[in-house]
Amino acid sequence: MREDNEDTERNLIQQYARRAIERPESAYRVLLYVVTAFFLLASLFPFYWLFVIAVTPNRSIVDMGLLPKGFHPSVFVEVFETIPFHIYMLNSAIIATLTTIVVLFVGSIAGYVFGRYDFPGRTPLLLVVLVISYFPGVAFLIPIFQLFTANIEFLGVQSPMLYNTPWSIVMPLSALTMPLIIFLLSTFYAQIPDGLEDAARIEGSTRLGALVRIIIPLSAPGFATAGILSFIIVYNEFFFSYLMVSGTGDWSPILHGIFQFQGSQQVAYDLMAAASIIGVVPMAILVMVAQDYIVSGLTQGALKE
Amino acid sequence: MGSLRLATVTKQYDDVVAVERIDLDIADSEFISLVGPSGCGKSTTLEMIGGLTIPSEGKVFIDDEDVTDLPPKDRDLAMVFQNIALFPHMNVYKNISYGLRIRNTDPEEIERRVNEAAETLQLEGLLTRSPSELSGGQRQRVAIGRAIVRNPSVFLMDEPLANLDAKLRVHMRTELQQLQRKLDVTTIYVTHDQEEAMTMSDRVAVINDGKLQQIAPPLTCYNEPANQFVAGFIGSPSMNFVAGSIDGAQFVSENLRIDLSDADYDGVTDVTLGVRPEDIYFADAEPLERTEPIDATVDVLEPIGEKIFVYLDAGLEEATSGDWADADETVGRSQFLMSAPSESAVEEGESVEIVFDRTSVHLFETATGEAIAHDIVSEPTTPTR
Repeated sequence: MREDNEDTERNLIQQYARRAIERPESAYRVLLYVVTAFFLLASLFPFYWLFVIAVTPNRSIVDMGLLPKGFHPSVFVEVFETIPFHIYMLNSAIIATLTTIVVLFVGSIAGYVFGRYDFPGRTPLLLVVLVISYFPGVAFLIPIFQLFTANIEFLGVQSPMLYNTPWSIVMPLSALTMPLIIFLLSTFYAQIPDGLEDAARIEGSTRLGALVRIIIPLSAPGFATAGILSFIIVYNEFFFSYLMVSGTGDWSPILHGIFQFQGSQQVAYDLMAAASIIGVVPMAILVMVAQDYIVSGLTQGALKE
Repeated sequence: MGSLRLATVTKQYDDVVAVERIDLDIADSEFISLVGPSGCGKSTTLEMIGGLTIPSEGKVFIDDEDVTDLPPKDRDLAMVFQNIALFPHMNVYKNISYGLRIRNTDPEEIERRVNEAAETLQLEGLLTRSPSELSGGQRQRVAIGRAIVRNPSVFLMDEPLANLDAKLRVHMRTELQQLQRKLDVTTIYVTHDQEEAMTMSDRVAVINDGKLQQIAPPLTCYNEPANQFVAGFIGSPSMNFVAGSIDGAQFVSENLRIDLSDADYDGVTDVTLGVRPEDIYFADAEPLERTEPIDATVDVLEPIGEKIFVYLDAGLEEATSGDWADADETVGRSQFLMSAPSESAVEEGESVEIVFDRTSVHLFETATGEAIAHDIVSEPTTPTR
C-alpha cells in the first residue's frame, strides 16, 4: 500500500483524485467554482459583447475580435438623439406596470383562495392553473391576434380592436404570468396563521378586508417578489411585445425601439447594441435593489409547504 | 344587551360530527364556560357563535335575532383567541383600535376609547410598542383591550389563558373575572381546565364528544353531576369509580359491599359507584353519615402540602366505562384515590380502614352513564344547593 502511495505521487491527476476522495469537500469547492465561472461567463459574455459592438464605430464592425475596434462611447447618447428611445422605455415600463397591477390584483385574490380556503375541487383547479402555466405563450398567438384585431365575432359582438394598444400586450401576458404569481402568493398566504384572519373578521373585516389589511401586509416579501418577477417577465418578453404592436404606433415597447435602428439599407449595429444595454439597465438596477427581497421571497415560498 | 341562544346546533365535517345538537340558552351578562377535553367540540361551538364556522344544522340567536347566516362582523361580538392573534404589523394602539377604525369611528372617539381601555388594562405606556416587544401577559391584555374597546354585546374567549405560565394564568383569571363583572357583558369562555371553569363562571357547560353533558352552576356540576363523564371531569383529582351491581339493596363489587337500603335507585341493577377523593375518610374520622369500613392497603403517598393524596388498593377491579366516556380522563385506576388531611399518620404499605361519606356517594347506571342518585341517605336530597 505504501508503494501505491508513492506511485500516485508520480501522476498529477491521480494525486488530485486521491485528495478528492479523502477530502470530498475540496472537490465540491472546485466544482462550485467551475460551475459558477461557467454561468458567469455564459451570462456576462453577451453583455461584454454588446458593449464591444456598441463602442465600435458602425463602419468598423467587421471581423470582430474580442476587443473593440476603436472607442466611441457617445453612441449611448446618439441612441436618444436618433430616436426617442426613452419613450420606448417608458412604454415598456408602463406595459409592465399595468400587467403587474392586473396580475397582483387577480393573483392575490386567487392566491388567497388557493392558500387559505379549503373548498371542493381545490386541487384539480390548482392543477389546471399549473397546466396552463406550462403552455407556451406562442401557442395562443394566432387566435389572440385575430381576437385583438377585431376579426372575431361572437354572439353578434365584434371583438375589440386592441392591436397597437398596451392592452394587447398586457392581457395575454397577465394570463401567462398569472399561474406563477398565484402559486407564489398562495404559498405565502398559507403561512399566515388562521387566528389573525379570524381576529380581523371578528373585529369587523370582511374576508377581502382581512386580505388587504392583514394578510397582504404580512406577506409583503411575497407580494413584492411577485410584483418584481411579473414586472421583469413582462419587460423582457419578446413575442407579444413584438407582434401585438406595429412598431410605428404610440405604444411600441423597447423591442421596437431597438428595431428602429435596423433600416432596409443599413443596420446600425452599434446603436442597436447600445440601446440593448440601455434597455437592460433599469432591470439590472431593480434586481440589485430588490435582490434580497426576491431571494427571501422565493426561498420562503419554496421551503414552506 | 347580549342574550344568546343556540338551537340544536350541529356541525359536521365530512364523516366527523364535531358538535351534535347542542342547545344553550345564555342570559344577558352571564359568564358561561364551555369545558371539556381536547377535541370535544367546545371551540367549534364558540366559532359557530362567532360566525367563523357556519353550523350544518340549527340556529344561533343573539338578542333573539337569528344570526346564523350573518358574517362575524355583523354580530356585535368580540373574541379573544388562544394564540392571542395580535396583528404583528401594527402597534398596540392600532391593534386595539382596529375594529373601531374599520367601522370609520370618529378619530377623537377612537382615541378616547383606546385610552380608556388602556387604562382599564394598565397598558398606558405601551401603546406605541409592537406586539413582539411585549410580554405574554401584556399581549394577552392587548388582545382583551381589542375586544372590550368596541363595547360588544358578547365576549367570546377561546382558552385565552392557555399560553400563559401558571402564576400569570391565575392572576389573569382574577382580572378577567373582575373585568367581566365591571363591564357586565355576556361572556362565553372556552377552556379545557375544569378549575378555571369552576372558579370563573356563573354556569358551566360540560361538553364531551360534541354533546352537551350538563349545564349548571359550578357547584351543581360538582355535587350533582348529570352523568359519569361530568362526575369524572369536574373536580380534581377526579372521582373514583367502581363498577358493580345492586343485589338485595346492596352495592356489590368483589370485596366491597355498601348498604343501599335508603337510596333511591329506581330498580337499576348494573351501576357504577362514584366517590370523590375528598369524600373518603379513614374509619377513625367521624363524618356524619358513613358507610361500613373497607379494608385497603396504602400504595403510594403524594403529599401536596395542605393534604396528602393517598393511593389505596382495596382489591377492586378498575371501574369500567361505557362507550360514552373519554376513557383516559375518567377511569383506568385500579386504585382508590383519597384526599386525606396532611396530618394523617399513614405509611406506604400500611393496612387501613376507609369509609365513604354517604351523603356524597354517587350512583350511575353503568350502561348509559346517567346519574341515578347523588347520595345514599334516606332523606330526600335537596334538589339544588
